[in-house]
Amino acid sequence: MLTPSASRNKPGVGSRFSDARTEISVVMRKVYLDHSATTPIDSRVLEAMLPYLTEKFGNASSVHGFGQEARAAVDRARRQVASLIGARANEIVFTSGGTEANNLAIRGVCEAAEIHGRHVITSAIEHPSVRGVIDQLEKDGWEITRLPVYDDGIVRIDDVRAAIRRDTILISVMMANNEIGTIQPVMEIGELVHEERKRGHRHLWLHTDAVQAAGRLSIDVQTLGCDLLSMSAHKIYAPKGTGALFIRRGVRLLPQQVGGHQERERRAGTESVANVVAFGIAAELTQKEMNERNDHARRLRDRFENEVESQINDIVFNGNREQRLSHVSNISFRFIEGEGLLIHLDMQGVAVSTGSACSSGTLEPSPVIRALGRDEELARGAIRFSFGKDNTDEEVDYAVAALTTAVESLRALSPLRVQSAEFGVRS
Amino acid sequence: VPYTDAFKDHLAHPRNAGELSDANAIAEETNPVCGDRLRLSLRIRDGRIEAARFLAYGCPPTLACGSAIAEIIEGMALDDAAKLSKYEIVEAVGGLPSRKQHAASLAIETLRSAIGKLTTSSAED
Repeated sequence: MLTPSASRNKPGVGSRFSDARTEISVVMRKVYLDHSATTPIDSRVLEAMLPYLTEKFGNASSVHGFGQEARAAVDRARRQVASLIGARANEIVFTSGGTEANNLAIRGVCEAAEIHGRHVITSAIEHPSVRGVIDQLEKDGWEITRLPVYDDGIVRIDDVRAAIRRDTILISVMMANNEIGTIQPVMEIGELVHEERKRGHRHLWLHTDAVQAAGRLSIDVQTLGCDLLSMSAHKIYAPKGTGALFIRRGVRLLPQQVGGHQERERRAGTESVANVVAFGIAAELTQKEMNERNDHARRLRDRFENEVESQINDIVFNGNREQRLSHVSNISFRFIEGEGLLIHLDMQGVAVSTGSACSSGTLEPSPVIRALGRDEELARGAIRFSFGKDNTDEEVDYAVAALTTAVESLRALSPLRVQSAEFGVRS
Repeated sequence: VPYTDAFKDHLAHPRNAGELSDANAIAEETNPVCGDRLRLSLRIRDGRIEAARFLAYGCPPTLACGSAIAEIIEGMALDDAAKLSKYEIVEAVGGLPSRKQHAASLAIETLRSAIGKLTTSSAED
C-alpha cells in the first residue's frame, strides 16, 4: 500500500529545522473527502437516467408518444423528490440547481410581496447563492438583517424573534451550513412565522436553503413549517445541473425565467428529462438509505476526528459538534494556510476543500469561519472534510496519515510557528 | 489554479527551508493585503550569499516563491542578487497567473530588505 511518507530535510548548515519533515512523496492514490461539494453518480441512478439520453429522448412538452413518455418520467421524478421532503408533487419546481432555486425563491417572493414591505432576515453564514441575491437586494434599497451565529455556528431563535418587523416579508435561513454542517433551528423559526401570521402578519414567508440537508436530514415540510425549500441533485449522488424548489401551495412568487409554460409557469425552459429522472431516483434511494448512510458517515467522521485530535496539536474544530450534519468535519490548523494544505493533500491524492467550494478561487478568509469569531489565521487555516457513502475505514486512515504529513511539512515552513515557539521559550 | 509541475515540486520538496543560526542578514516581510509572510535568513561573506533559508506562511504561491528564491540566491554574488526581479522568480516556479504574482514580488521585497539590513549592520561594524 502506498502511504504518505516524509523524508528528512537535507541537513543545512545551521538549519533550525534540519530534522524537520518538509518533503512529501507524491503518490497516485485518490481519496475523495469532498462530498459537500459534490458526489459521484450512483450506478443505479446512472442506469435509470441513461435511456432518457438515448431512446427515450422526447421533449416532455410534446403531445406525441415520445413526449408523453418523457412527461411521465418527469412526473414520476417530481413525486419522488416531493416524497423526500413530505411535499405534494405540484409543489416541486425543477430548476438548473440549488443556486437557481435560491434565486427563484428569494427574488421571486421579494418581487411578488414588496408592496407589503422591503425587509429581509437572513443569517451571517448563508451559501454565496443566497448571500449574493440578498446583497443585491440590499443594493437595490431593501433592508437586511443578518443574524449572528455565535461561536457554535447556530442562529438563535430569540434573535430571529427580535429581528421581525411589520415590514419583514421574508426570512431565509439555511437548514444546514455548507462549510461546518451546523443545523439551524428552521422548525422553531417556522413556528415563529406561524405565530406571527396568527397575529395578522400575513405576508411573511420562510425560505430555507436545504441543499446540504436534503437527503441527509429527515425533512417534512409540514412539520418544518417553511414555505420555500431549495434542493440540489448532485449532493445526493445524481448529476450536476438539476435542483428543485419546494413552493408551498398558496405562496405567490414571480418567475425569474420566462418564455415557456413549463413547471406551471414558474420556471420556463425545457425540462432536462434525464437529469430530472436521475434526481428522482437519487431522492428515492436517499430516502430509503438515509439512516444507513448517516450511520456510516458519522462513524467515519468520528474515526477521522479522533485520529486527527490524537495526532495533530494546535487545531480547532469549527462549529457545534453535536448539532451538525453527520458527514462534515471542519478543522482549523494553526500556523498554516488552508489552500497550501489543500494542495499538499491533493498531491497525496486526498481531495478536501477550504472555505466554500464555490469561492476557493478568492483570497478572502472564509466568511463562515469569521462569523464564528475566529481570528484571521484560524479562518485561513480551515479545511472541510466531508465523507460519503462509499468511503472506507482504510481511506480515512490514509487521509489522516496524509494530513499529518502535510500539516508537519507546512508548519516546518511557517514563521508563525517559529515565533510561537520562540515566545514559548522566553515565557 | 492549474499549478505547474515545477510549482508543485517546490511545494512537495521545498528548497532550503528553515533558518540559519549564523545568519548576518535576516528580513521578514508581510503582504499587507492578504497577510502572507516570508522570512529570509542569509549568511553573506565576501560579497556572496553563502547560504539562504526561508520560512513562509500563506497561499501556495508564497510558499513556492520562498522556496524558489532561497534556491536561486544561494551561492549568488550579492550584486547579482540585488538585480533579481519578480519575473525570474515567476519563471522558476513555472509561471503564475497575474493575480498570484504578488507572491513573487513579496519574495523580491524580502530579499532586498535582508540585503539592506546587512548593509546597515556592516556600516555599524
